[in-house]
Amino acid sequence: MAEVSRIKLGFVPLNDAAALLVASQLGFFEAEGLDVELRREASWATVRDKLAAGLLDGAHILAPLTLAMTLGLGCEPTPMVAPFALNFGGAAITVAAHLAVSVGAGPGAEGLAALIARRRAEGASPLTFASVFPFSIHNYLLRDWLAGAGIDPDGDVRLTVAAPSRTAELLAGGVIEGFCAGEPWNEVAVMKGVGRVIAHAADIHADTPDKVFATTQAWAKDRPDALAALIRALARASAWSAQAANRSELARILAKDEAIGVDQTVIAASLDGIVFDGPGVNRPDPAQAAWLVGQMKRWNHLAPALDDRSIAAAVYRPDLYDAALKR
Amino acid sequence: MRVLVVDPDSARAALVTEGLAGVEPLDVRHCLFFDEAEAADFAPDVVVVAAESPDRDTLDSLKSSNAGALRPVVMFVDRSEPGLAEEAVHAGVAAYVVDGLATGRVRAVLEVAMTRFNLMRQLRTDLDKAKADLASRKTVERAKALIMKERGLDEEAAYRVLRKLSMDSGRPLATVASDFLAFAAVMKGGS
Repeated sequence: MAEVSRIKLGFVPLNDAAALLVASQLGFFEAEGLDVELRREASWATVRDKLAAGLLDGAHILAPLTLAMTLGLGCEPTPMVAPFALNFGGAAITVAAHLAVSVGAGPGAEGLAALIARRRAEGASPLTFASVFPFSIHNYLLRDWLAGAGIDPDGDVRLTVAAPSRTAELLAGGVIEGFCAGEPWNEVAVMKGVGRVIAHAADIHADTPDKVFATTQAWAKDRPDALAALIRALARASAWSAQAANRSELARILAKDEAIGVDQTVIAASLDGIVFDGPGVNRPDPAQAAWLVGQMKRWNHLAPALDDRSIAAAVYRPDLYDAALKR
Repeated sequence: MRVLVVDPDSARAALVTEGLAGVEPLDVRHCLFFDEAEAADFAPDVVVVAAESPDRDTLDSLKSSNAGALRPVVMFVDRSEPGLAEEAVHAGVAAYVVDGLATGRVRAVLEVAMTRFNLMRQLRTDLDKAKADLASRKTVERAKALIMKERGLDEEAAYRVLRKLSMDSGRPLATVASDFLAFAAVMKGGS
């Protein structure tokens, strides 16, 4: 039976919010009998707080943040469920244009390591790199990329947090020398001539889980029919987004002011690295969550003793996905 | 009072300054975007940020990464979102969120935020200390029990053994007890 009350879903302006934006624009939510209102949010902290306070029913959210919320890292514990994974890949590391020659072509950070060593010998200040949130795949990818070239992420560089929409400006202003964020914000920095993409998520780790669609565990229990309908609409939108024939229409939808608000040509140029649909992409595999927990432990966000599997299984819920899609 | 207002719109900084009229000394600094270096330099007593500002994540991350730079943060919600303030503060999920911003309320709101922040910090420090005390007391109890069992001593005598070890080595009782337990575990593992 169709649920009648209006459902409020939050998203942060990024390409990987496509499933929500497409489902809303093309009427896939309506087709499931849902009345959905999308709300554009400026920060992940606000998405987190509004989910916890019940002001959002569900959201496009950083996969590691759902684990952090459940465990009460950086906030009061709020048990979350992620019944639908939105994408693999789609993030990249960009360095400031003025450093592009010194750091080399990538995708490794060896050139950056040499630059850091040279700057240290000269007594220059450490370079600053931004990611989008402490509990984000972007933070972990950036750290992994740095560590892969022998750079200590906690000693050799300064790491900070910046909203994706601010990164190009911070690069231009010399506040940061590089960042890891989801598209289209790397492409925006490139188009403005202030940055150069040195590595894509897939260069660092294949099939990197990035964003999920999540609700609180309480909401999922309270509204099982609405949740199943949301999953079906998102699955349909993900399949639609993945089709090459729909690429320019997708770019047009994402470019809108109320969506991402970035020029359509920039969006179109930034859609290559992202996987919206395909085997194992949307079904939330607890093994992926366990891998994320491993990253959180590696970078001291979690105690080593924590049981990976139980937290992964509590948040990543393929059973809800399967039930909604009758698989 | 030193207040840092982070807001792309300059109207709010003007409102804050107006609302704090009469507070001496007063230094309200307005910046369009949050700059960590500038903030550290200014050392505000309180930070005011629009809840819709993208810089919230930067401020939020300071909470976990850099305890020294921690400041009470007041967030003002512009859009009418009834409940966010109360719910968020109640759940402890956001620093401080207040609906709307009226000149007459600015001073009270900032003062409450600072008081509450200091109270929370004190509570957290107390809680950490209480947890640490409890943990060390448990360790001492376990070490005492082991000595009683191994040497057939009564509780008081076992305690005296530990205290003597502590005094002789000039190290805290809990540390001595912890080392004793670790040593005992190694010996047991070897047999």
